[in-house]
Amino acid sequence: MDIETVKDRAGPRAFGPSDDMPEEYRKAATRMLQFHANSEIMGAYLERPFIRKAPSLERKMAFSAKVQDEIGHGQLLYRAAESLGIKTREEMLEELANGEGKFLNCFHYPMTDWVETPMIAFFVDGAAMRRQATLKRSSWEPYAHAMDKVCFEEGFHVKHGESILAELMNGSRAEQERTQEAFEEWWPRILQFFGPTNDKSTHHDFASEVGLKFQSNDDLRNAFLNAYLPKARKYGLEIPDEPRIRERDDGTFEVAEEDLDWDEFFEVSKNQYAGSEEQIGKRHDTQEAVEWVRDALEETERAAMGDGAPAAAD
Amino acid sequence: MIWEVFRQEAAGDYHTHCGNVHAPDRDMALLFAEIQHGRRKPTNSLWVVPKPEIAEVDTDDAVFGGSTDKAYRFAQSYNVEPAAKEVADSERELTEAERKRGEP
Repeated sequence: MDIETVKDRAGPRAFGPSDDMPEEYRKAATRMLQFHANSEIMGAYLERPFIRKAPSLERKMAFSAKVQDEIGHGQLLYRAAESLGIKTREEMLEELANGEGKFLNCFHYPMTDWVETPMIAFFVDGAAMRRQATLKRSSWEPYAHAMDKVCFEEGFHVKHGESILAELMNGSRAEQERTQEAFEEWWPRILQFFGPTNDKSTHHDFASEVGLKFQSNDDLRNAFLNAYLPKARKYGLEIPDEPRIRERDDGTFEVAEEDLDWDEFFEVSKNQYAGSEEQIGKRHDTQEAVEWVRDALEETERAAMGDGAPAAAD
Repeated sequence: MIWEVFRQEAAGDYHTHCGNVHAPDRDMALLFAEIQHGRRKPTNSLWVVPKPEIAEVDTDDAVFGGSTDKAYRFAQSYNVEPAAKEVADSERELTEAERKRGEP
């Protein structure tokens, strides 16, 4: 298939593994899927310590289920990426461990206090769900199928995050103040979740023309703000003065881009931010620690199949 | 190796394709399928099938249902009233199928 045919036929779930897709499409889709899969894994690692640190049994169980879901989503997305024939799972996991694999900005920052958890579990997950809902219309069928499963599972993630926020903001004055501080620290990062504003995004046009992406970064951010700003206010969080957010007459939001630190964002997106190394390092150490399991599975597959390259197991 | 996974939601239902897993052998495929596809959705049973074992025929290779007018296969093209509820039910399903056949 040539690119022009791809653009003509592009629509929800239009292409699958039995289609002969041009390399440009396959690379663009792999880039998106790899970023998404990496982000699921890195997000899971960020939240994992809270299984232990959570203050109640219910919260521990919810975080445990959530982390397990996220790892599963990562596996699902690596599989969908692999089906494009550009990179294997093993290659993508290796890239993630050695610092080449890119992932969401929010997961480059440490999260140590309980009051920080709703910033990821409610706001970042909420932003992710907004994006994932649109990706159900991806032209790459395995991606769309993965989104069906992910969207089914994630509803409780966002509500669980909101429930923690509600609890904290209805708690003691000290809890409310500390939660407000955490919100102020994470808010700019949350706003940058959707990436650079439209005219600075390099990948959007092609992805949009071949059905891999549907809404601009700005549109997604507007939809997010429409739903989540009122929620933040409802719980008594004060929206910081900066970055300046102005509501237009048509209900959409204008964020003063210059108020956000895009230098930091671009450093983060290249894994060159100070905190990036710490987060990636943890993942790298775990990858090394369980290498013996992957080796054992590969051995089993080699023995079972005789010859032929074994694929990395889940 | 890739194993395609089919889930049966409740006893009596059909197994439906729901995705796939990587696994070196059948036992691991069943285990991974259970975790990846049977953990959150209601599941009564899972099948795993090695992907190379699945053969496919699609509209590139075959004209499903034939290419000539098959009106005689559809209950709604006969000008009599359905004799009983089950005949009417079948006619409703066939009408729906005919409508879908017209869709791209």
